[in-house]
Amino acid sequence: MRKILYPAVLGFLMLCSCEDVVNVDLPNEEPRLIVDGLLRVDKSQEYVNVEITMKETSNFFEENQPTQVESAVIAYGMPDEFGELTSLAFSSLAEREPGSGVYIPDPNFSSDQRIRTAAAEPGVVFILQITHKGRDYFARTEYAPTVPMDDLVQGDNTLFDEDETEMIVTFTDTPDQNDYYVFDFGFGEFLALDDQFFQGQQFQFSYFYQKKLQPGDEVTVSILGATQDFHNYVDLLVEQTQNNGGVFETPISTARGNVFDVTDLDNIDVFDNVEQPELFALGYFAVAQEFERTLTIQ
Amino acid sequence: MSKRHFISSLLLIFPFIVLQAQQKYTLSGTVSEANSNETLIGVTIAFPSLKTGVTTNEYGFYSITLPEGEYNIVVSYLGFQDVRETITLNKDIKKDFNLLEKAEELEEVVVTDDAERLDIRKPQMSVNTLAAQTIKQIPVVLGEADVIKSLLLLPGVTNAGEASSGFNVRGGAVDQNLILLDEAVVFNSSHLFGFFSVFNPDAIKDVKLFKGGIPSRYGGRVSSVLEIFQKEGNSKEFKVNGGIGAVASRLLLEGPIEKERTAFLVGGRASYAHLFLPLFNVDDKAYFYDLNTKINHKINDRNSIFLSGYFGRDLFSINDSFINTYGNAVGNFRWNHLFSDKLFSNLSLIYSDYFYGLELDFVGFDWDSGIQNFNVKYDLKHYINDKLQLNYGLNNIYYVFNPGKIRPNSPDSGIVEEQLTKKYANENAIYVDVEHKISESLSVEYGLRASQFNRFGQDQFFVYENNNPVLFDPFTLVYKEAVPIDTINPGRGGTLKKFFNLEPRVSVSYNFNGQSSIKASYTRLAQYLHLLSNTSSPTPLDVWTPSGPFVEPQLLNQYAAGYFMNIKGGRYTFETEAFFKDIENRIDYIDGADLIANNAIEQVILNGEARAYGIEFLLRKNEGRLKGWLAYTLSRSEQRTPGRDLSAFGIDTGRSDLETGINFGEWYSTPYDKTHDLAVYGSYDLDDRWDLNANFIYQTGQPTNYPVGQFEFQGITVPYYGLRNKERLPDYHRLDVSATLTPRNNKGRRWQSEWVFSIYNVYARKNAASINFRENEDTGRNEAIRTSIFGIIPAVTYNFKF
Repeated sequence: MRKILYPAVLGFLMLCSCEDVVNVDLPNEEPRLIVDGLLRVDKSQEYVNVEITMKETSNFFEENQPTQVESAVIAYGMPDEFGELTSLAFSSLAEREPGSGVYIPDPNFSSDQRIRTAAAEPGVVFILQITHKGRDYFARTEYAPTVPMDDLVQGDNTLFDEDETEMIVTFTDTPDQNDYYVFDFGFGEFLALDDQFFQGQQFQFSYFYQKKLQPGDEVTVSILGATQDFHNYVDLLVEQTQNNGGVFETPISTARGNVFDVTDLDNIDVFDNVEQPELFALGYFAVAQEFERTLTIQ
Repeated sequence: MSKRHFISSLLLIFPFIVLQAQQKYTLSGTVSEANSNETLIGVTIAFPSLKTGVTTNEYGFYSITLPEGEYNIVVSYLGFQDVRETITLNKDIKKDFNLLEKAEELEEVVVTDDAERLDIRKPQMSVNTLAAQTIKQIPVVLGEADVIKSLLLLPGVTNAGEASSGFNVRGGAVDQNLILLDEAVVFNSSHLFGFFSVFNPDAIKDVKLFKGGIPSRYGGRVSSVLEIFQKEGNSKEFKVNGGIGAVASRLLLEGPIEKERTAFLVGGRASYAHLFLPLFNVDDKAYFYDLNTKINHKINDRNSIFLSGYFGRDLFSINDSFINTYGNAVGNFRWNHLFSDKLFSNLSLIYSDYFYGLELDFVGFDWDSGIQNFNVKYDLKHYINDKLQLNYGLNNIYYVFNPGKIRPNSPDSGIVEEQLTKKYANENAIYVDVEHKISESLSVEYGLRASQFNRFGQDQFFVYENNNPVLFDPFTLVYKEAVPIDTINPGRGGTLKKFFNLEPRVSVSYNFNGQSSIKASYTRLAQYLHLLSNTSSPTPLDVWTPSGPFVEPQLLNQYAAGYFMNIKGGRYTFETEAFFKDIENRIDYIDGADLIANNAIEQVILNGEARAYGIEFLLRKNEGRLKGWLAYTLSRSEQRTPGRDLSAFGIDTGRSDLETGINFGEWYSTPYDKTHDLAVYGSYDLDDRWDLNANFIYQTGQPTNYPVGQFEFQGITVPYYGLRNKERLPDYHRLDVSATLTPRNNKGRRWQSEWVFSIYNVYARKNAASINFRENEDTGRNEAIRTSIFGIIPAVTYNFKF
């Protein structure tokens, strides 16, 4: 929401600046694990569509390559009154096609490893454990429910240039609680919102696509629930990928997700990662309810 | 305890006040321009036989007390003919001087630029003065003379590049500059996001920038003081001047209401660049205007009053889907009163207001935010004798901060009207400042400012567990906002937190034969307001926030030392200064912090520290057909925000290093860290028609970040980075030239005119404002994109006066 206030400044700069492609030598880093693990929960289905992509980073100008992990397991359950996870269910993951880096519940396991959507309830905690190249990673998240969209229509306004596409989204916020939302507009375009300014109201807003869309294109827009942490994470990703042309840039920072390295945490001498800040995986593990709507561009 | 300390230091000063020898008389008065009666600031009244003298203050007043005798005096000022007189001082004398401008055709040839020339004997250091005349000659983009762009040619002053607001002094942030327009605080100094500054050069009389050694009469910002005085208005005859430029036009009217007693000044300026925008895009608008007004009335020899106002607005809209308005409004009333020929006083009552408004049609809301303040100031200047001058006074500012109000703009908008919690505070200070000439060689200026800041209660105040508003996850190493455990209403009457600071200031100068001197200074300053901005240059929508329970005041120590020299009898001057400063409590923001419309800013900020050090050189040529200067600065500016010690919040972790801080707690370059900064300015008087000006700027590229890699998450391709600000943009450099044509037929007629032709960025360097990385939509490959703001820009301006 707050980000919406920025275009005023950016628009002006776009009118009077010019851009060109330049060559820049970039620093390099050792490959790092990337976990793309957003589980979108459609309550009308029986099972959660579990698909987690594992990749490794490379130089900025090159593609990330899929990687294989030694093991990947999801554990989930409702914490007890002390916040302890006493009874957990497990889902063991296996690579879908060899070399794809895409992990799904292991079909060859002795029992059914799929996760039922009925298990995804407010308060349920999901834990992802991965072993990759001898290092152990861990991520913890809470299931985030959400509300369906009331309406999705195409608008005919434009913001900065004539061939932009406007998408008008309407939904009703749940009253009396702080809610966070993540919208997936497709094409890698996301928006993170919180309900500070429309608590419990029906809210309508316009989104202008960065990508040029053609009449006949089919677009799918999703509303997803989010924890505060996941909302902050998506917000940071959006901020870091927005090319806002210069002087109003915010300071960069690596968007750190919730997948962290636990290999050296022995809970005897090392309790946390404060002294080894360089050890972490990129990406995020989240479990969120999703509602979709699809529209054909006029 | 600290108060008693303050009083005892006050007492220390009194031994000097005790009147010394007998048979002394006072010469005092006002120095004005002969044709307009405009008082002149910084005019030197020199007594060559005693090697002493005095300069006029901000209101043109001077006073000096000397032993009985007959003296030759010389009154001199930039661009004016010297007045030489012999005075028999056998009683107190009141004497006003009227200076005549040097004749037009002579002016450019033999300007003796005293105001800009450094004063060898005075302890005051780290100060630069720019005459309105110089500001108008410096070539600038689109031909609009500009106060702040001119400052950038001085040593130790930079900015974040084209189209960035404000300026950075000695590695300080933009919000650490105290900008005073006729003694009123101006919160935003830029129009059109930094393309122009808010000061109309026609209405300005004097500009002074204190970079260090800041006298104790100033306070509230830790980096610099930019003091600007507007003209008072011509009290002898009606005058008009103006200019027509490529983006903006100016018109200024001034004249007497009652001759020699009451005068007015009205100046306006407006841009019309938006008229050309339809060429790019039909419905967009971007323009600004500002209005300067002033009335002064001389009640009698001892009393004068001034009423002045400034009003400026920027308006920017796109497709009417959003409309953005912002600007300053300043009104003030001042009363000069002479208690005696040795005691000058000024009372100022000032109201100033900064407004930012936004209408966003496509999200369905209106937004406005701002800051208002009411300022009462009383300053006295006590001219005890030719060795001792005492300045003292007090100041009280009451602030109202409106972080933002959001309103639905139509009945079907889902936005709920909300006023973010307004904040209230009061800042007051008393100060005393002594200018003391101990011997012919040694002068000292020392003073003390005692400041107090009272953050008042507000309607809504969040309470946090352990009083800790920012949480840290020691596993993922991510900071996030704490959720308040309670909301209280402390009421506006009470105090949330109070701060008290003693700010001593000392400057010493030792001169050798009046031709060279060494100077040193120490400055301590407290700043209670913070601009919430985490962009590399502030945006107009950034809001200010007061110190309080979660935000400590910024505290500065600055040490400076320098060597100053006149060469060839003052035809050239050379100065060099080294400085070191450290600032406690410089706030920094957690990653991804949203600062706009944030009702709980304490949840996203951490207290850090900043430091800067460097050395400056300035060589000026003051006389002849070719005048100008060369300024070079070598410096570094850094900040860091280490992890907090959680035991301060009563959380016992058994360890003190349970947080990583920002950037893992390591020092990093501020966005305004420029290792090398070189500026050359020259003005050449070709003949009686043509005047040529040029400036060249070279700066180390601004610190920036290049990604070490990229990753994908749900189809978003995100670059990721190593430690902050390790890389640099390519070096910045550019050459600008201008030529001023004064038509021959100006001579002897009332209508005076000139043409200014200018070319900005002559060799069309594409200076990078930023380098961004993004995926090429066609090839799908990542590219580095350089954004540059201006190519080569020619402009023509026509100026006139009658």
